Amino acid sequence: MREQAQLLPGTLDLLILKAVSLGPLHGYGVLLRIEQISRGALLIEQGALYPALFRLVRQGFLKASWGTSENNRRAKFYELTTAGRKRLQTETDGWKRLVEAIGSVLGAEAGEV
Amino acid sequence: MKLVGALRAVVTGLFRRARFEQEMDGEIRAHIRERAEDLRRAGVVGAEADRRARIEFGGVEQCKEKCREALMVSWLDHLWRDLRFGLRMSMKSPGFTAAAVIALALGIGADTAMYSIVNGALTWDLGLDNRDRIVIVSSTNKQHDQDWTVSYPDFRDFRGQVKSLAGLAAYRFVPVNLSDQSALPERYYCVEMSANGFSVVQHKPLLGRDFIAADEQPGAVPVLMLSYHVWRDRYAEDPGIIGKTLRVDEVPRAVIGVMPPGRRFPEETDLWVPLVPDAAREKRNNRELMLFGRLGDGVNLATARSEVEGLAAGLAAQYPDTNKDETANVRPIMEITGVYYMKPLFLALFVAVGFVLLIACADVANMLLGRAAERAREISIRVAIGAGRIPILRQVLIESVVLSVAGGFFGLLVAVGGLRWFDRGMGTQVKPIWLHLTLDRNALFYLGAISIATGILFGLAPALRLLKTDVSAALKDGGSGVTGSKFGLRASNALVGFQMALCVVLLAGAGLMIRSAVNLYGTPIGVKTANVLTMRVNLPEAKYRNSESWIGFHENLAKRLKGLPGVETAGAASQLPLGNWIPFAAQFEDKNNDAARRPEVGGLVVSNNYFEIMQVQARRGRLFLEPDGQAGPPVAVVNETFAEKFWPGEEALGKRLRLVEEGAPPGPWLLVVGVVPDILQNFREHLKHDPLVYLPFAEEPERQMFLVARTTVPPATLADAFRREVQRMDSNLAVYEVRTLEDRIAESRLTVSLFGTMCTVFAAVATVLAAIGLYAVILQAVSQRTQEIGLRIALGATRGDIVGLVFRQGIRPLAPGLAMGVLLALGATRVLRSLLTGVSPNDPAVFAGTVAVLVTAAVIGCAVPTRRAMRVDPIVALRYE
Repeated sequence: MREQAQLLPGTLDLLILKAVSLGPLHGYGVLLRIEQISRGALLIEQGALYPALFRLVRQGFLKASWGTSENNRRAKFYELTTAGRKRLQTETDGWKRLVEAIGSVLGAEAGEV
Repeated sequence: MKLVGALRAVVTGLFRRARFEQEMDGEIRAHIRERAEDLRRAGVVGAEADRRARIEFGGVEQCKEKCREALMVSWLDHLWRDLRFGLRMSMKSPGFTAAAVIALALGIGADTAMYSIVNGALTWDLGLDNRDRIVIVSSTNKQHDQDWTVSYPDFRDFRGQVKSLAGLAAYRFVPVNLSDQSALPERYYCVEMSANGFSVVQHKPLLGRDFIAADEQPGAVPVLMLSYHVWRDRYAEDPGIIGKTLRVDEVPRAVIGVMPPGRRFPEETDLWVPLVPDAAREKRNNRELMLFGRLGDGVNLATARSEVEGLAAGLAAQYPDTNKDETANVRPIMEITGVYYMKPLFLALFVAVGFVLLIACADVANMLLGRAAERAREISIRVAIGAGRIPILRQVLIESVVLSVAGGFFGLLVAVGGLRWFDRGMGTQVKPIWLHLTLDRNALFYLGAISIATGILFGLAPALRLLKTDVSAALKDGGSGVTGSKFGLRASNALVGFQMALCVVLLAGAGLMIRSAVNLYGTPIGVKTANVLTMRVNLPEAKYRNSESWIGFHENLAKRLKGLPGVETAGAASQLPLGNWIPFAAQFEDKNNDAARRPEVGGLVVSNNYFEIMQVQARRGRLFLEPDGQAGPPVAVVNETFAEKFWPGEEALGKRLRLVEEGAPPGPWLLVVGVVPDILQNFREHLKHDPLVYLPFAEEPERQMFLVARTTVPPATLADAFRREVQRMDSNLAVYEVRTLEDRIAESRLTVSLFGTMCTVFAAVATVLAAIGLYAVILQAVSQRTQEIGLRIALGATRGDIVGLVFRQGIRPLAPGLAMGVLLALGATRVLRSLLTGVSPNDPAVFAGTVAVLVTAAVIGCAVPTRRAMRVDPIVALRYE
């Protein structure tokens, strides 16, 4: 099992958007998918999940609709809206830039300064 | 879309709350259930799986609360909770709440009442739907640069040629007698209007038909359009009125239609007749018509103006004799109404009442600041255990809004009561048409809006103070909660200073108006105004063609009226005091009469007993006698101003002068037989005396005269008797404007007295409120410094020192406030210039008085705190932690 990584504040939204972008999910499904893709490194605090989902719906990045889950139960499914897709793109780009920048700082050798 | 999402959230919070809760609950439950199933699949035993799933999820209620926050559906809950808390807090300190609500009620009520009046006056729309498109076209004489009326031939040319206007019509006002079998003849305002008049303003008749082009041809059958209220009041809405013949100034006319209610264009029209050109009217330099038109679609005022100017230039070139100096002007129609020119005054009054409201708000803000100081500890505890600042702010604001809405509710009573009191105060005086003294829907909306707005406004004071509370300091402080927040004290002082500044402006305005009124009412008119009844009779041209008939009529009438019990004498005059005069140019026998510089004087035509009726004695020479005007040389009587101006230091008696009217041959040479003291005739400048010449009626008869009579009984009681006598002489004549002379004079001063009263009331209320504000602040400051005062007394301070301390505390906000207020007032009072008589807007006496009044009010406000300061027992004060 890999080391658990600390979730930086504000990244939960980004992760949710990414998870949903791969296909509509209900709340529990989002949780599972993130854990699955990160191979267990990221454990989402369950109490923070639903407020984040609701917030993303209010902001117009996710759309919620009722449907049936795998075990034939009624569940609320979330999918990305166009605005949500755009948001995911911009946030991902921003994240990549951040990672590059920090990476280059951390990778600086004594001679380069 | 963020906004859509937010709106949806609000709607959900209001209406679909139950379903939302259900869904959310279901979703979370489903989540926990699935987790439990996954755990069971992984091998955990049934009940243990459920338990673990629940623990993993965490606090369900907390999660739900966060979800509600995220979707903002709980705002309603919070609002309701804050409201209940606010109400509870207000109930806890009833005295405080009562004081705040009363202050707010006064401010909000006065503001709403004023808004209603100003709104009514400024949006009075003449009954037009398309007021912005209707314009007035007038001639302008280039030399005199005055807008004038237009002649019929010019009108016809304009109407035919103009393209930028969708229609051009002409009218003139002519008061007429309307008589028929149904009731006594009455006097009405009639408008002679070109046939297209109604179509220009797009008014359609309620009954019957509109005028057509045939109606305005010479020789057409005379017709008549009635206004709704005449049809209702005089003909009881008789549907058979169409086609009936009525006599208008002796001319029989057939009624062709009735206009709907509220349509009285141009102003307060009762009847309309077609404008038919006759020989006199066809003269191009006979300018008596007003023109109005409607702007074409998409045309703006400037375009229309330049086109009409061009047309006028064309006419000037075509008819140089009559139109050489004439150009034309196009203006929006609202500019011709009297109210338009009073706009700055109305706005000034509205600002003044706004000041009163602001002063009341400042008072309440100060009160709340004081209370905030006491609650600093409670707030700090809440902040310390994790309450966000925002909810606290929200709660403080809601408390303030609760107060202000309560104030608004009582303010409604104040507004209604105030307007009613005002209405009663005006009594029997004729109210201007724009003066609405009731609250309409607009005013109620306004009341609601400012109730909430003021709450938010003065709520900012305690809110800011609470935000700046030093939490740790407040918690440390033992129990007195005296955090001495610098912000609080500075804010209080600033508010008081602000109140004082506004008060200065209001008091200065009121002081100026009062001084002005004193001048106005103190200036003698020059006649004995009590017990004089006046009225007007117009002799229609059709029946009374020549001047002999007018002389005969008035002589006869005067005799009859004198015979009535209670009447001393009766006579006639062309104008009454404060009613201006007939303008003439004068020529003098003994002077060089340069035609270009003939002096302008005022002429009045009076019956021979006029001066006797007015109880005016001659200063020199004699008054008119019986035969004057009919036998003997033509005579005149002049007033002292005239004699002083044209024959200074000489004897005026025996001199001869003659009067020249514009465009007419000069009158006969008049012999001056008497000099009378000045009677005020100038309507505009109420304090000025002008050179006046009085002529006997028989010498220069006028068709339209005022009847004047001196009575031994209250004049209003004789009004009906007078009407009946006129009826007996001629049953088709209507008597109108029956009023006592005193009422007439009061009317001419109406604007000044209206504005002056309101200004004074506002200033008084404001001063009281500001004094209360100062009192509260000083009281608070003194109680905050109780320890210090106790110490000083213990160390030997005298009573004088303590008094000085309190007063210095009071000066701190007062002095800068007064200074700023004086500066502000110096500029602001200029707006009253048009209302002031005999007083300059920056009159030093008034300003000095204002400062004195406020200082006195401040001293009174400081009195109680001073007493309390002096009664401080040093032992108690020092022991008090």
